[in-house]
Amino acid sequence: MKSVGWRALLVFAVLALVPLVPGMSRYYLLLAFDALLFGAIAMSLDLLMGYTGLVSFGHAAFYGLGAYATAIVMERGVLSIWVCVAFALLVVGLYALVVSYFATARRGIYFALLTLIFAEVVYTVFRYTQAFGGSDGIQGLPDATLLPGVAIDTPLRKYYLVLAYLAVAYVVCRVIVTSHFGRVLVAIRENEDRARFLGYNVQRYKMGACMVSALLTGLGGAIYPMRSAFATPDLMLWTESGEFIISVMIGGLGTLVGPVIGGAFFTILRDKVSSVVDWYFIVIGGVLIVIVLFMPRGLLGLRRLFARRTGGAAA
Amino acid sequence: MDYVLTVLLPQLLHGLVFGAALGLLALGLTVIFGLLGVMNFAHGELYMLGAYAGIVVIGVTHSFWVALIAAPILVGIVAAVTEVATLRPIYRREPLYGLILTFGLALVFREGARQIWGGDMRRILPPFTGSTPLLGMTYPNYRLFLLAASSVILLALWLFFTRTRAGIVVRAAVQDAEMLDGLGVDVRRVFTLTFAASGALAALAGLLLAPVFTVYPQMGVEMILLAFIVVILGGMGSMGGSVVAAFVIGVAQSLFSLWMNPQRVAIAIFGIMIVVLIVRPRGLFGREGVLE
Amino acid sequence: MRKMTWLLVLASVAAAGAGMTAPALSQSKVVKIGDLGSKVGVFEGYGKYQTMFMQMAVEELNAKGGVLGHKVEMISEDDETKPAPAVRKAEKLILQDDVKLLVGAVSSGATMAVMDVTKKHKTIHWNAVSCAEFMRTTKFHKYYFSNQPDSRMQANGLAKYIVDKMGKKVYIFYTDYAMGQSDGRQFKTALEKIGGEVVGVAGAPLDTKDFSPWFGAINQAQPDVLFLAFAGTDSLRLMTQLHSFGMTKKYKLAGIDCFLLQQDLPAIAEPMEGFVQLAHYSAYNADKQMAAFNERFKKKFGVDGNIMAGAYDGVLFWAAAVEKAKSFDADKVEAALEGMCLDNTHVGRQCIRKEDHQVIMDMHLYQVKGGKNLPIARLEGKDTIGEPMVGKDPVEGFTWEIKKK
Repeated sequence: MKSVGWRALLVFAVLALVPLVPGMSRYYLLLAFDALLFGAIAMSLDLLMGYTGLVSFGHAAFYGLGAYATAIVMERGVLSIWVCVAFALLVVGLYALVVSYFATARRGIYFALLTLIFAEVVYTVFRYTQAFGGSDGIQGLPDATLLPGVAIDTPLRKYYLVLAYLAVAYVVCRVIVTSHFGRVLVAIRENEDRARFLGYNVQRYKMGACMVSALLTGLGGAIYPMRSAFATPDLMLWTESGEFIISVMIGGLGTLVGPVIGGAFFTILRDKVSSVVDWYFIVIGGVLIVIVLFMPRGLLGLRRLFARRTGGAAA
Repeated sequence: MDYVLTVLLPQLLHGLVFGAALGLLALGLTVIFGLLGVMNFAHGELYMLGAYAGIVVIGVTHSFWVALIAAPILVGIVAAVTEVATLRPIYRREPLYGLILTFGLALVFREGARQIWGGDMRRILPPFTGSTPLLGMTYPNYRLFLLAASSVILLALWLFFTRTRAGIVVRAAVQDAEMLDGLGVDVRRVFTLTFAASGALAALAGLLLAPVFTVYPQMGVEMILLAFIVVILGGMGSMGGSVVAAFVIGVAQSLFSLWMNPQRVAIAIFGIMIVVLIVRPRGLFGREGVLE
Repeated sequence: MRKMTWLLVLASVAAAGAGMTAPALSQSKVVKIGDLGSKVGVFEGYGKYQTMFMQMAVEELNAKGGVLGHKVEMISEDDETKPAPAVRKAEKLILQDDVKLLVGAVSSGATMAVMDVTKKHKTIHWNAVSCAEFMRTTKFHKYYFSNQPDSRMQANGLAKYIVDKMGKKVYIFYTDYAMGQSDGRQFKTALEKIGGEVVGVAGAPLDTKDFSPWFGAINQAQPDVLFLAFAGTDSLRLMTQLHSFGMTKKYKLAGIDCFLLQQDLPAIAEPMEGFVQLAHYSAYNADKQMAAFNERFKKKFGVDGNIMAGAYDGVLFWAAAVEKAKSFDADKVEAALEGMCLDNTHVGRQCIRKEDHQVIMDMHLYQVKGGKNLPIARLEGKDTIGEPMVGKDPVEGFTWEIKKK
C-alpha cells in the first residue's frame, strides 16, 4: 500500500528484531509490550485529537471495556484470541456508538465533558459491581491461544502480539488519514462551520472518527489482559485518559507517529523513574504545561503542521 | 413517621451541609468558566491546597479562625501567580488547551502537596466539638456550623454580586466577557483577581470541609468531578444556578444513598448529568449558546 | 524540528539502554529479597512498617554473616495499593532483580494478584498482613506462606468473647473489598454459629470520605455491638465521624486486628476507648519476649512497633529454611519451611503448618484503654487456626441475609 511507506516498514522491521538485542530480558520484553501498547493507543487517540480536533477525556473507558471483555470471556474458559477480540470490538463498539452519538451532538468542550462523564459511569459500574470483581477486578487469567494448541504464553509471543496490533492500528490510521475521509476531518478541525456549509454532515464524520479511535483503543485494551492476566477498574480512571492525552501531547498532535513515540517514552519513563524517584508526576505535569505554552503541537507536530499546510489540504 | 424523623430528615441535613460547601466550590468554577472561558481542572487542587494551607496556619497560630482567613488568602495568591504565569498566554487559544494545561497544573499541585506534606492523611480538629440532639440523633455541632458558615458566605457573595458596582460588573462580564473591554476596565487585572478569588473560595471550602473529611493529596480529585457536574447542571456561567445545583446534587446524593447502595449513587448522579447534557445542555439556568 | 524527533528517539533508546545495563557486576555473593507493599496512600502505615521490620531482620542476619554466606539486600517497591501496579512491581522484583523471597503485599487484592506471579515464577512468597480468606484456601499455592491471622482465625478467636461479654446483637460494618468482605463473612458466620444475632451488615467502599450516610441504618438496627472491619486511614476517618455523632459511646466496639495501627491510636484515643480486637502484637503487651522485641525496634527506629512485626518473622523463617536446605532453590526452601518452628520471633514460638503454610502462634485479645491496646486474654494458636481448607471454597453456603428473630 503506497500510503504505508517504506519508512514505516523499516521501523516495523527494526521493532521485530528487538527481542534479539543482547541483554533483552523477559522483563524488558514485557516493558516493551507496555510501551508499544500505550503508544498505539495514543496514536488512535491522535486520530481524534490531532486530526479531528476533539479531545476525549474518556478514552480509558474504551480501553478498560476492551480489557474486561477479554477477561470475562477468558474467565469462562474460552481462550481463543479471536473470540476475545471479536467480543471486545462488539462491546466497545456499542458503547462508543452511544457515546459518540451524544458527544458529537454539540460543540466545544461539550465533547470532552461528555466523554469524561460517560467514562466515569463505566468506571463506577465496574468498580462497584461484584460480578466484575469489584475494585479488585478479574484476576488470575490464563494465557490466550492463537490457534488451538498454540498459546501466547511467552513474553516473546506477547511482544509479537502487540507488534501485530500496532501494525494493524497504524495501517488503519494511515489509510484514514490519507483518504478523503481524513481530509474532511482536518477540515472540520480547522473550521467546523465551513465544513458544514460545504455540505458535509459534520456529526457523521466526527462520529466516524470517534468510533475508529474507540475501536482501535478497545482492541488495545482487549490484548492487555493477555499480558497482565487481569483486568481492573483502574484501567478506566479518567486519570488514565489523561495519560493518553499526555502521550499525544508529548509526541505531537496530528502526526500519528509522534504519539507512538510519546506513549512509548512516557511508559518507559514512568517505569524507570518511578522506582528511583516518586515525584515524577510533577515532572510530567510540568512537561505538559510547558508543551501547551510553548510547543502546543507537541514535539513533532509543528513541522508536520507546516508541511500539511503548504501541501494544500483544506481550502 | 419515625422513619422520617430518624432517617430521612438527618439524611436531608447531610445533603444540605455538603451541598452548601459544594456550592462554594462550584461557584468559583463557574465564574472562571464564564469569565475566562477556561474549565479549570486544577480547581480541586486549589480546594486541597486550602486545607493544607489551613494546616500550616494552624500549626503556627493554633487558631482555626485565623486559618479560615489566612488560608484562602494564601491560596488566592498562589492562584493569581499561576494565572499570570500560565493561563494568560493561552486565553486566545482554543479552550481545549485550557483543559490540558489545567490538567497539568493539577498534577503538579497534587504531587507537590504530596511531596511537601506526605501522602498520609492529616487531621484538622474542628474548632469546637460537641453535638446537639436533633432529629432523633445527636448531630455534630461542627457540621451545623459548616452549613451556617457556608450559607452566610454564599449570602455575602450574592450581596456582592447584586449590590456592589464591582460585583455587578463582574457578573455581567461572566455573561459576556467581551463587554468588559468596552467598559474601559483593565481586563487582565479583573481576570487575575477573579481567578484568585475563585481559588480563595475553593480553599475556603477545602478548609471548612477538612475537619469532616480529613486532609490528603487526593481530596481534590474526588471533588472536582462533582463540581463539574454541579456547574453543568446549574448552567455554565450562571452563578445562581451553580449554587442551586449544588444543593440539589448534595441532597440528591444523600437521599439516593438511602434507597440504593451508597456506592451506586454516583451512577445515578452521573446518569442525571448525562440526561441534562443531552436534553438541555445549558443546564437549569445557563444561557443559550454556550455549548450549543 | 526534525532534530527534535531524533533527539527524542535517542533519549528513549538511551534511557532504555542505560536501564538495561544498570544491573552492573556488584560485589560477590549477594542475595536479594523483595519488600512489596503500600508505601503511599490509605495503607501507608502498614507498608512503611513492613519495610522497617524487614530492615531490622536483614541487618540482624547480615551481622551474623548473612544467609549461606551471602549478604542480604532488600529492595522495596510501592504497589499503590492496587493489583495492577502490584503485579508490575512483583514482576520487576522477580524477573529483573531476581529476588529469592517476596514479602507482600498489604492489600488483600494486591496480594492475591501477586500470588499469581509468584506461583508462575516459583518465588517464595511471605505475607504478614493481608487477611482475606482466599489466600490459604482457593488461591493457595505451595510457595506461599503467611503468619497473619486471617479473617477465619480472627473470627474463631473473637466471636465468642463478643457474644459472651459484649452483647448478642451485632452490626457488622466493613470496607467493601476483598479484606473487608472476607471479615464480614467470617464474623457473621462465627457469630451466628455461637448464638449471636447479626442485626445488620453494610459495606462502604475503600477510601470513603464521609461515612455518615450509613449511620442512619446502623442506628435503626439498634445493635449492642458495632463490629468494624476497616483499615488504615478509613478507620481514622470512621472513628472520628462515629465519635462526632455520639455513636462510640452508644455502642460497644469491636473489630479486626489491622483496624488501627499503634502509631495512630494516640490521635483518636477517646473514640477508640473500649475497642476489642484479636491481634498478635501490641507495644503495650507485658509479655517478656514481645516487650523486649518492641524495645529493640524502638531503639532502632524511635517508634513503637505494630502488627507488621510478622514481616520480621517471615524473613527469619526464610533465612532459617535456606540454611537448612543449603540452597536458594524455591522448591527446596519450601520443603524446609513446612513444619518449621522458630522461637526467636516477636511473640515466642511460631510453627508453620504443613497443609496450608499458615503459622500457628499464640495471640491475644486486646482492649483499648486510655489510648493503649492492653491484653485482656491470651489465646492458644491451635484454638484459633481452624481446619486447613486448601482448595475448598471458604464461603460456600454463606449468605449475607439477615435472619430476623
